[in-house]
Amino acid sequence: MIDKLKNFYDKRKTIILLVLLAAAIALPFLIDKGSVMSIIVRILFYVILASSLNIINGYSGQFNIGHAGFVLIGSYTLSILAHMNWPVWLLFLVAGVVTSLVGFLVSLPTLRLRGIYLALVTLGFSEILRLVALNWTSLTGGPMGIKGIPTPWFFGLRASSPHNYYFIVLLFVILCLFTSHRVINSKVGRAWMSIREDDHAAMSLGVNIAKYKSINFMFGAFWAGVGGALMAPFYTFIDSSMFSLDEGFNILSMVIIGGQGTLIGPVVGSVVVNLTTELFRFANEARLLIYAIMIISMMWLRPQGLAGTSRSVIANRSLGRDRGAFFRKLFKKKEVK
Amino acid sequence: MYLLEQLVNGICQGSIYALMAIGYAVIYGVVGLVTFTYGEIIMMGSFSAFYYFIIFGDNLVFALIAGFITAAVVGIVVHKVCYQRFLDAPRYISLICTIGMSMFLKNFATIVFGSEMKGMPAFMSGKYIELGSIRIAYMQLLIIGVVIVLSLLLTVYLKNTRMGMKLRAVSQDKKAAALVGINVKTTTLIGNCIGCGLGGVAGVLLGIYYNSVLPTMGGMAGLKAFSAMVLGGLGSIGGAAVGGTLIGIVENLGIAVTSSGLRDVFAFLLLVIILVVKPQGLFGKKGN
Repeated sequence: MIDKLKNFYDKRKTIILLVLLAAAIALPFLIDKGSVMSIIVRILFYVILASSLNIINGYSGQFNIGHAGFVLIGSYTLSILAHMNWPVWLLFLVAGVVTSLVGFLVSLPTLRLRGIYLALVTLGFSEILRLVALNWTSLTGGPMGIKGIPTPWFFGLRASSPHNYYFIVLLFVILCLFTSHRVINSKVGRAWMSIREDDHAAMSLGVNIAKYKSINFMFGAFWAGVGGALMAPFYTFIDSSMFSLDEGFNILSMVIIGGQGTLIGPVVGSVVVNLTTELFRFANEARLLIYAIMIISMMWLRPQGLAGTSRSVIANRSLGRDRGAFFRKLFKKKEVK
Repeated sequence: MYLLEQLVNGICQGSIYALMAIGYAVIYGVVGLVTFTYGEIIMMGSFSAFYYFIIFGDNLVFALIAGFITAAVVGIVVHKVCYQRFLDAPRYISLICTIGMSMFLKNFATIVFGSEMKGMPAFMSGKYIELGSIRIAYMQLLIIGVVIVLSLLLTVYLKNTRMGMKLRAVSQDKKAAALVGINVKTTTLIGNCIGCGLGGVAGVLLGIYYNSVLPTMGGMAGLKAFSAMVLGGLGSIGGAAVGGTLIGIVENLGIAVTSSGLRDVFAFLLLVIILVVKPQGLFGKKGN
């Protein structure tokens, strides 16, 4: 089914994109409720965060599970500098650049590492950042967090309501997806994918692995920083508990559920995950149980993600065959009864 | 003097970490997959001890056994849900599965046991021996003793029994083990149960050390176990023991010099530094 959808999209690319854009712009005029709108804005935040993680995990095959650390840097950079009266619009960019520099620093030790070691360094790094933010009270407010982060001006309006803020986030989402699309289809993106498939082969074909891995981390970190920076003025308050490891796992699950290594995957993942957790809000604590079951069943039934094709390497045949046998067994039992 | 006392604390705490790391190393060695559910298994172990103390009174030995059994049973569930199907699939699939499972267990525990902190009974409180001017509490000695006894038992089990030999064979090469007639599926399951059980015992000790249990205590404990194992070298049991003790010592000396809020920073800093300098861990084989 996904393949059919893809074919349909390939044939009528421009029309579909224009319709989607029009729908996205019209959305806030159709929805009155501020609470619904803020959920949509949150979905858009996670689109940026999940896409940026997808750049690292999905395209160059490095395993980053401490993405929350990058988001933290972006958020705190904006919040701290905004209190020093820097213009907020400029700070979105500054936060991105700062985070991308941090991403470069993280990528330095990780160039030699692969797989689980790399994952562990990113995880440790994310936790270190959170704990430093929690304890460096003079700069980050410590456990009190940073309050009263100013919202930016947008066409002469102070974008404090979710309806107005939506447009700012939408702008960045489009920018993020567009640049990602361009970069992935460029020489750089192809280098990343060749590293993902086989780094030795890539090296023998003259791909400078260290350089491209670094660029990859920097690009992913840049958008994570921008995403984090966008969150701060919307919530007007940040503290270190917003960037725990669970948050990193949350972003990771969105990428995986949506389908990593596809541009649309993180978008789908973010929408699905946020909507499900919102829909089950009435269940209070059990909501997270449902989320957990969703992640596990996703891995059992469709490990390549919702947007991944069934021709993907991950949807390998051994798993598929096993699943068929499982269902046949199920039906056989019913017949006996 | 203060530093020396912190060193003793560090060794005691480090021995708990070491036990957790040993359990993790057994799991990693036999199953060959990384798990994020381990922290929650530790938490389950300490909760089972908590309820054991309420129902049957303060008997430490049986509480440790209860922790072992509960954690091993949870380990079976985790094995069925997260590992068994994905042994040959790309590794991140089972990793995500364990993340989901960890989320499930944590929230399940919060709903069933309640999210508030619960007190554990104190053992041998107030008793200590004096060595020169350092005080070592009996409880600390007890914890270190339990850890040492368990690690020795594990070593004997792995070296001298038939099952232990099977476990070692599977952890070296699954295919070759299957070729010489070892039931790889069952052996993996048993190895996983033993690893989880050790984690459960470590959870009981952790609960006694801090005098409290909490549904969210697992997250950081699991990460420490993971770090300690990587520090010692993936899947190496002796290395895991050394790594755990080292992390405990560094943490406690670190907070002696700075503030106690930075406790976990030192653990992770040590880990990152080791990974950058010597990626295969302290006792790991090259080429992993």
